[in-house]
Amino acid sequence: MGVQFILCFNKQGVVRLVRWFDVRSSDPQRSQDAIAQIYRLISSRDHKHQSNFVEFSDSTKLVYRRYAGLYFVMGVDLLDDEPIYLCHIHLFVEVLDAFFGNVCELDIVFNFYKVYMIMDEMFIGGEIQEISKDMLLERLSILDRLD
Amino acid sequence: MGSSLRSFIKDVRGAKTLADERAIITKQSAKIRTKLRDDHLPHEKRRVNIQKLLYLYILGEKTHFGQVESINLVASDEFVDKRLGYLAATLLLDESEDLLTLLTNMLNNDLHHPNKYVVSLALTSLGFLSSPELARDLYPDVENIIKNSRDPFLLKKALQCAAKLIFKDDSLLEIFNIEDITRVLSNHSICTHGVLLGITKILQSILLIGLNGNKEEEDGIDYNNDILAPLSLLLREFFVRLENLNSKNIEPGYDVQGICDPFLQCEMIYTLQLYFQVGELLDSKHVLGYKDNFCDLLTRIATNTDSTKNSGQAILYETVKTIFSLNLNQPLRVLGVNILAKFLAGKDNNTKYVSLNTLLKVVPQEPTAVQRHRKFISHCLQDNDVSIRMRALELSFAILDGSNLVELVNELMKFLAKQDEDSKDLIIYTIDHLVDTFDTHVVKDESWKLDVFLNILKLVGPFINYEKINDILIIINNTTKLFDKSNFLQKLLSLSLDGESMEISDDNIGWQLVLVWCIGEYGDLVLNGDNKNNTSSINESSITDYLLNLQECYTTTNHKIINYILTTALKLSIKIFDAKNIEKLRQLILNYADSTDLTLQMKSNQYEIFFNQSLSVKKTILETMPKFEKIAEKSNNVKGSSKNLISNEPIDLLSDLLNEDSKSETKDSTGDNVKPIDILEEIFGEKNDITQPLKRGEEEEKSTNHPTVAITNADVILPSDATKIYDSSSLNVYASLLSVSSGLAHLDLFFQAKSLISDLQTFCAVPKAQKLTLGQLYPSSTIKASQVCKQSLKVSGSGKLKLRIKLDFHLNGSSSTTNEQFDHKFNESL
Repeated sequence: MGVQFILCFNKQGVVRLVRWFDVRSSDPQRSQDAIAQIYRLISSRDHKHQSNFVEFSDSTKLVYRRYAGLYFVMGVDLLDDEPIYLCHIHLFVEVLDAFFGNVCELDIVFNFYKVYMIMDEMFIGGEIQEISKDMLLERLSILDRLD
Repeated sequence: MGSSLRSFIKDVRGAKTLADERAIITKQSAKIRTKLRDDHLPHEKRRVNIQKLLYLYILGEKTHFGQVESINLVASDEFVDKRLGYLAATLLLDESEDLLTLLTNMLNNDLHHPNKYVVSLALTSLGFLSSPELARDLYPDVENIIKNSRDPFLLKKALQCAAKLIFKDDSLLEIFNIEDITRVLSNHSICTHGVLLGITKILQSILLIGLNGNKEEEDGIDYNNDILAPLSLLLREFFVRLENLNSKNIEPGYDVQGICDPFLQCEMIYTLQLYFQVGELLDSKHVLGYKDNFCDLLTRIATNTDSTKNSGQAILYETVKTIFSLNLNQPLRVLGVNILAKFLAGKDNNTKYVSLNTLLKVVPQEPTAVQRHRKFISHCLQDNDVSIRMRALELSFAILDGSNLVELVNELMKFLAKQDEDSKDLIIYTIDHLVDTFDTHVVKDESWKLDVFLNILKLVGPFINYEKINDILIIINNTTKLFDKSNFLQKLLSLSLDGESMEISDDNIGWQLVLVWCIGEYGDLVLNGDNKNNTSSINESSITDYLLNLQECYTTTNHKIINYILTTALKLSIKIFDAKNIEKLRQLILNYADSTDLTLQMKSNQYEIFFNQSLSVKKTILETMPKFEKIAEKSNNVKGSSKNLISNEPIDLLSDLLNEDSKSETKDSTGDNVKPIDILEEIFGEKNDITQPLKRGEEEEKSTNHPTVAITNADVILPSDATKIYDSSSLNVYASLLSVSSGLAHLDLFFQAKSLISDLQTFCAVPKAQKLTLGQLYPSSTIKASQVCKQSLKVSGSGKLKLRIKLDFHLNGSSSTTNEQFDHKFNESL
């Protein structure tokens, strides 16, 4: 179990968030190629009729969901329970929404470091660590004020 | 260009063209690099630069030059610096970096920091960067937090970290103390859902180590008694908590679509699954004693969880996976299959996908229960999502057996009817498996079987590859009743010859190949049969013209079908009576007498010789194919062309020539059947003046670019570097790889007889992406005991080098043929 990476990009394929939880290849180019591949794979899928799961490599499948113009993608192990990761994504987006108040792409673009802070309160090393929205938001508002 | 992060982001976004954007990024990147080198830069500026750098990281730019600076920030006393520093470190560093050593010290300090937010940052970062070295150095600090902290926020993170560290370095199991866990569990004020999640993670790590092997035994730890036994004391507690969670309706704060904390439920089910997996593996009575309780609990979860929402489905799915991974009792397995079937019946493609995937895995465990839901599975064959169709297809074949064959095949035909070029992979998959299905299942109603293939050809003929066409031809050939065959051809013909019908497109090559072959084999049945006058459009002339037209279409474009047409023209010539049509066929064959394609040229010339033989001789040669057993997947041409026979039965002149050149002729196809050889020899004995020059041309071409050393010695000696690839009671086979380069490999096969072997024939097949050129057996196809004969192979193409080899020979002079077959994979790739 565990998330290998979290990715967020828009419909044009511009990356808005990226977090690798597994041992990253020392070659950044490979990561970039992987992202490009993932974008191609997911953006070509039929939004309405196809499932939100797609196999990506020998060790990874993607669980993704589109919110308005943004795709949120998680890479998980082949044997993992896909539906629960869809819940992960949804919870993450709900927290973003509550934190920023009706979140939009620009919030994420300009406050990416805050989004990472949110992500890091929800996931640790690729494992989910907190599921209570209330607790998360309370904690985040404290952290946000520590600036 | 502004200096704040915001204005930088704005600038990048505002770039009109890609080139503009690149210019801005390059400039800013250089600027950051210079700034970071400046030791006197104020902290605030440093932060802005690192923030910009992180933005560049998200955009996929090079950021390695910021690694040191991120460590510097971590070292700062200010919280804001630390926070950004840790973020940068987790994004920019990886586990292999030397800089991690620098970080270890800082993490160590921060884990003891009086400010809990700093401790929290350090834990989060440790969770990311856990390496075996960090694990050993920092585990005591993490353990310290687990032991002493009363803050759930820190506790949950520390537990998660400990889980990671233990997994990285399993020798930590020695110092891990289960009581730390039990104490946390029993303290309600600190045991939040997040903390429970952390506990499941630690348990999972420990159990996974148990599953992955018993390295600990060397270190003096008895996993079963020292680890698993105390751990099993938590089982009862886990059952109660999971049951409570599952039966709770509304728990504010943890409710997801009406389900209470599906995340924790899934993690707990998974943890329990690991418990019992390890328990089974080590046969631990501590754990297995609880198995019945566990089964009861799973039954309750499976029955009570709402399956209409995604969160409930996640729990059910985890439950089903557990049932099957532990292969629990049959009622539970059936319950599991039924849950999956319920998923299938729904509209949500996500659940369908998950369900099909899981059903595929559980078919072997519970075949009948899965078969019961075949209606739903067939329904998924019509889904819009190709990945669902693919899985439904796989599943259909997985549950297919004698009892549902007709039903499922009919469903598959419906499926094929709806596919287009985009789903070529699915079509090929279906055809491959249908052919296999008909190979393994005896179908009583052969006319139905042929109808199935007629439909397949009609629907997806253009997509079927040649190999499968051959398999289909074999199936047709092996049909017992002549009536069925003639009926089949009748149907093919009426669809093709009826000018009005648009059902068969002109590029349906699969259809055409089969039709051409069938005309050659069974043309007379249709022309002379009882059903002759059913369709007026089928007669000698129309069939002849069909062949002629087809031949014209493909003259230069497809030699494969021309080969078929030539043989069919020859065969048909003895089945029809009208001299005009016969002459047309002869002319057709003659068209290729000087073709640039050597095979066609040779065929044309040889067939011309046949054509001039007396009818009685021709009839013997051109008999309908006998029933034959399928051999590997290799023959390109089902009909043994006369060319192959030459190589199998060397004629003196030819073999002399071949020995000289140390190279045998090319065999792009191997003959599967042996035709009356004596007659052929008779013919070629007189006429080899025709074939010989052709051969020579070919040989010279080959020998110039072939590096094999010429063999002058009649005795073949087994080279020392040859590896044995096959060993049977009658012979050994060795292979020696002479050269491998991209796209081309040369190798020699050596056959060492254990007792007298005569008339050895070798048939080789290579993967689809490769082409094989097979040399002749040297020195002869008869090998005395312990003698060796050799054969050279040239493989071109791409992919892994592997061979399937079939050997036919007579042992100890016996008249019956012995068959042996084996596969060999080389380590090399082309």
